[in-house]
Amino acid sequence: MENVSPPKPAVSENKQGGNSKEKKRNGSKLFQTLLVPVLALLTGFIIGAIVIALSNDAVIASYRNIFRDPGAALAATWSAISVAYGSLFYGSFGSVTEIFHSIQTYYSTGDSKAFLLAIYPFTESLTTVTPYILAGLAVAVGFKCGLFNIGAEGQFGIGALCSAYVGYAMHAPWYIHLPLALLAGAAGGALWGAIPGLLKGLTGAHEVVTTIMMNYVSFRLSDWLLNGPMKASGFRPLTPVIDNSAMLPQFFPDPLRLNWGFIIALAIAFLVYWFLFKTPIGFEIRAVGANPDGARYAGMNIVKNFVLAMTISGALAGLAGAVQVLGVDHWVGQGFSSGYGFDSIAIALLGQSHPLGVVLAALLWGTLRSGATNMQLNAGVPIEIISIIQGLVIVFVAAPAVIRWIYRIRAISTQTTVLTRGWGK
Amino acid sequence: MKRISTTFAVMAVIVLLFTACGPAATAVAPTAVPVKIGEVTDLGGVNDKSFNALAWKGVSDAIAQLGVDGVFLQSTQQSDYAKNIQQMLTSKEDLIVTVGFLLGVDTATAAKANPTQKFAIVDYTYPDCYPGAVEGKDCGSSTDLTNVRGLAFQTDQAAFLAGYLAAGMTKTGKVASFGGLQIPTVTIFMDGFEAGVKYYNQKHNTSVVALGWDSKAQTGVFVGNFTSTDDGKNTATSLAQEGADIIMPVAGAVGLGSAAYCQTAGTCLIIGVDTDWFVSSNEYASVELSSVQKKIDVAVLKTIQDVVNGKFTGGTVTYALADGGVDLAPFHNFDSQVPQTLKDELTQVRADINSGTVTVANVLAAP
Amino acid sequence: MAPVLELRGITKSFPGVLANDSINLSVEKGKILALLGENGAGKTTLMNILYGLYKPDKGQIFINGEEVAIQNPSDAIARGIGMVHQHFMLIPVMTATENVMLGVEPIRYGIFLDKAKVAKRILEISTQYDLEVDPNAYISDLPVGAQQRVEIIKVLYRQADILILDEPTAVLTPQEVEGLFKVLRSLVANGKSVIFITHKLKEVLAIADTISVLRGGKVVGTLNTKDASQEKLATLMVGREVNLVVKKKPATPGGVVLSVKDLCVRDESENLIVDRASFEVHAGEVLGVAGVQGNGQTELVYALTGLAHVLSGEISIMGKPLHHSSPRNILERGVAHIPEDRQRHGLILPFPVHDNLVLCTYYQPPFTKGLDLQQKIIIETAEKLVDQFDVRTPNVFVPVSTLSGGNQQKVIVAREFSRPIKLLIASQPTRGLDVGSIEYIHSRIVEKRDEGTAVLLVSPELDEIIALSDRIAVMYKGQIVDIVPAERVNKAYLGLLMAGVKSKEALEMAPTTSMEEVDRVT
Repeated sequence: MENVSPPKPAVSENKQGGNSKEKKRNGSKLFQTLLVPVLALLTGFIIGAIVIALSNDAVIASYRNIFRDPGAALAATWSAISVAYGSLFYGSFGSVTEIFHSIQTYYSTGDSKAFLLAIYPFTESLTTVTPYILAGLAVAVGFKCGLFNIGAEGQFGIGALCSAYVGYAMHAPWYIHLPLALLAGAAGGALWGAIPGLLKGLTGAHEVVTTIMMNYVSFRLSDWLLNGPMKASGFRPLTPVIDNSAMLPQFFPDPLRLNWGFIIALAIAFLVYWFLFKTPIGFEIRAVGANPDGARYAGMNIVKNFVLAMTISGALAGLAGAVQVLGVDHWVGQGFSSGYGFDSIAIALLGQSHPLGVVLAALLWGTLRSGATNMQLNAGVPIEIISIIQGLVIVFVAAPAVIRWIYRIRAISTQTTVLTRGWGK
Repeated sequence: MKRISTTFAVMAVIVLLFTACGPAATAVAPTAVPVKIGEVTDLGGVNDKSFNALAWKGVSDAIAQLGVDGVFLQSTQQSDYAKNIQQMLTSKEDLIVTVGFLLGVDTATAAKANPTQKFAIVDYTYPDCYPGAVEGKDCGSSTDLTNVRGLAFQTDQAAFLAGYLAAGMTKTGKVASFGGLQIPTVTIFMDGFEAGVKYYNQKHNTSVVALGWDSKAQTGVFVGNFTSTDDGKNTATSLAQEGADIIMPVAGAVGLGSAAYCQTAGTCLIIGVDTDWFVSSNEYASVELSSVQKKIDVAVLKTIQDVVNGKFTGGTVTYALADGGVDLAPFHNFDSQVPQTLKDELTQVRADINSGTVTVANVLAAP
Repeated sequence: MAPVLELRGITKSFPGVLANDSINLSVEKGKILALLGENGAGKTTLMNILYGLYKPDKGQIFINGEEVAIQNPSDAIARGIGMVHQHFMLIPVMTATENVMLGVEPIRYGIFLDKAKVAKRILEISTQYDLEVDPNAYISDLPVGAQQRVEIIKVLYRQADILILDEPTAVLTPQEVEGLFKVLRSLVANGKSVIFITHKLKEVLAIADTISVLRGGKVVGTLNTKDASQEKLATLMVGREVNLVVKKKPATPGGVVLSVKDLCVRDESENLIVDRASFEVHAGEVLGVAGVQGNGQTELVYALTGLAHVLSGEISIMGKPLHHSSPRNILERGVAHIPEDRQRHGLILPFPVHDNLVLCTYYQPPFTKGLDLQQKIIIETAEKLVDQFDVRTPNVFVPVSTLSGGNQQKVIVAREFSRPIKLLIASQPTRGLDVGSIEYIHSRIVEKRDEGTAVLLVSPELDEIIALSDRIAVMYKGQIVDIVPAERVNKAYLGLLMAGVKSKEALEMAPTTSMEEVDRVT
């Protein structure tokens, strides 16, 4: 029975990884982080293609004759999908050759009209992206603190109404009016976020429940405001249009609506990154999000951080509404928020709650949305297909196991990002 | 890598298999027809069973009857309005149909920037500026726009018939209407309804009471929204308790709650608005006496016809009972219960309205 | 006769790690096999293979001489293998009976759950094997030891013949360990076989028939218990000679650092859990708090560190009273805390090692300037600490969750010891750690004491208390029942106090050679 082997020296663990090794590890970490979202996107598009083909009469008709003419069926399928995605792409980015030719035209004739028309789709995409960046950041900040802010929708709407009010009711030079209008939007959203934060911190009320309820309060409040105190005149539930001095300046003449809001959104994204990862306050928020017990042990104030994170989250969502009103719409009408807040949850998920990821995800989301108009018109594909693709991408990102299963990727790390904790304690 | 490409191959095959047995869909088959029509919806989308859907039905009818080419763009956000109109301009549609007041400003702005482009806007008219409003901002235009046709509807004429019908059918001697919000497009229905009841009383020397709206005092019952079926149920309950046995809710989906109440309680009948509810909300067919139809599809179809025939004109065009732009829907399940004499009277009233001998304003103004 | 269970050449690798390397093991009927090894030696992987949670890359499993393929836990259960995990798989809001019947619910009249039948069977099992459990008690109300008994009953209810117990004593008090051993003996007496996974040498010698030692995924030795000794096993396990006794000089106590007077604390369900506790800790001494787990030690520590609300009484540090101070305030007064639950309280697991090393000081200079975290300084400091405290990690950037338990604990110790501290509160500082790490942590604590730090050590492991403490307080039902100098006390006496015997009677039952010198404070 006894077969004691001589004791061997303990295996010394690799204590200091070499520099190159470190880089390699980081590289593979980046690859790992991007792998699932990218594959999710790809899968979403493939399934989207199936739906596009299925909803195309010509394709269906060609398949009735598949045994007589299989080539035609394949060709019809291919053409349906390529026309749809082609026009989606064109609608999102425009055409490189068109832009190139229009620049030539500009230099030879001095006429910029063609150039503006050529870059219209791309600028329109960036315009669409702007509120998504900010609203996505809002949800991401919540996630970082372990809070699921479903209330971005309501915060967005309140922010929009507040900035619209300052925009039309106040009159001041632009350098006062515009910042004040932006600030009003952020403040309105912040208030709307702070309330669930306080309820969570002080009474333990789950933020999912309270933010949903705050959404309803915001919807009904805006119904009332638009039909009452904030109604322009006559019978239409619209606010008056804001003053010129409160509008975010556009980069190009109409109809190109791209404005400073986009730059603001990028700047805010950087600011959020700095705040979360480079300041002690952000450190606390992340620590509380990752392990509230541990954070409390380390001397952090949990209630304060919950309230702070929800306030910042609300302020960002409110700012998204403000930027949209001050930069694009210039007035607020019924059904104004219509999904920005809910889409932003998806964007935060897709962006893995990292500010850079959120910007990328918002770029993707907005360009898809924007290009869909062209697809709807030129390929006859309903705009809902984009919602289907986006929905699928989110499902796959949220359930990475599905993607790993489809593509037979082994899970390298068992480490999962904690977005929110469960219900109750 | 190999596994991934295998997966792709498998998926491609699945794509092909699935596409072979899919259901037929309703995409617009492009045909080589010169006249192109583009519809831009508001947030409701093209399947809203209401204005947007009706406008699209008008375009679809035009596609079938006139051989035009039609597309639609759905707006999902406020910022889509201007963008979608821009997209329609880029694709050089002959007529751009925009739906609803939310597109009022953007339609006017685009129309002024593109004076040769033809537009039609549903349920909206220019000039739309009110005192103090800034043109191009608060309102679309302070003048009539020659390249925009505002489609207006004399719904009070059809509501007049509904009021007359209700007065003739009531057993309690009380009928009612109520609104979503006190705005002109809502109260015009209630005016017509009230006038119809009054006219019936004049003719028959009866004293049927119309609850829920007093056109002289401009006061009435309004629930404050167009969405809450609960409100519709509650309002119908109290109106029925006051004795009304025929109710016309002018409040969008709120009315469905009223219909549901009447179906459960069995003490009241409903007159629908905008569409023929027997078609659009058949689940309450057992209490749907009739509907006051705003035939947006007819208006859109007629406008397209004018474009095809080169007779397009801008300005406000009002569609009325005479041209089928508004109408009282058939009685459907209640056809046998409506006495022939009442039907004959309604035919007469209709003729009188069309000829102008009876108007809502005159009836309401009468002592 | 063939062994009940035999493993031949089991090999399993994970990316980058050979977790099990051609492992051979066999278990005889009615015997206890101890599987001994440090954390990360591959014990748990091997058992997960046996239980069908992992598939081996190579190797065969024989049950009663017949080769079997175990695809999943259901297979394992069907073959009579039962597993009691280190972290219990019980549902706290259900009763013992309900937990036992989960997944195998007996049905009466077609639709009704037959709870009574299960309860009866539970009572049968408990009498047969000395597994005392109230079938109707809610799991959340049961002490850890009783919860473990429910787990064992669960396994027996499913008619297991081979029981695998993964680190079963890690969460138990000395008395509960004794109880568990009694149960195990009665199990093998009834013909069951047991695989006992542990890293604790004494327990192995006390209970096992055969011992297999694992190191680095290999079986480095299999011996009969009678041939084994602590030193021999430790050497096999760690791969070098290990110092099993804590070497320390006599204490030179200074002034009072922590003074606690009539402290009362309520627990979450509003029960008085710390009851008029009074004691003092001096600079340069270790006061050990012994007691069966759940007698208020946890709450006492929470109250001292600001994590729990103080109901009444006085706490003062360096003479200054502590009135509902925040945890941060207390930390800043020079109190270090090695928490009982290191993963819940002590670390932010997804955070990198370097952030965990500054978890209590990140907001102070030099780590923060204005609103800027000084990442560079944090990393440099972290790298220094990792070196100094011998934390085995590839670098300071990896999430602390990827470290082994011992190294995680070293991160906490490094963090707490690197601050200027006057009082160290160490709550079960070596819980679940391997021999090497225990040795290290113990020596560090003694070192801190010798530097003049006051140390409050709370541990349910009496050996640890006796080895480290200069004075020992015993806690029972929230009260400090006695405080005795460590060198004058025997284990039996402490054990009796911990079990609730009054100190006078305990003295009679377990007389020490110098009874009258026993220093009684309460």
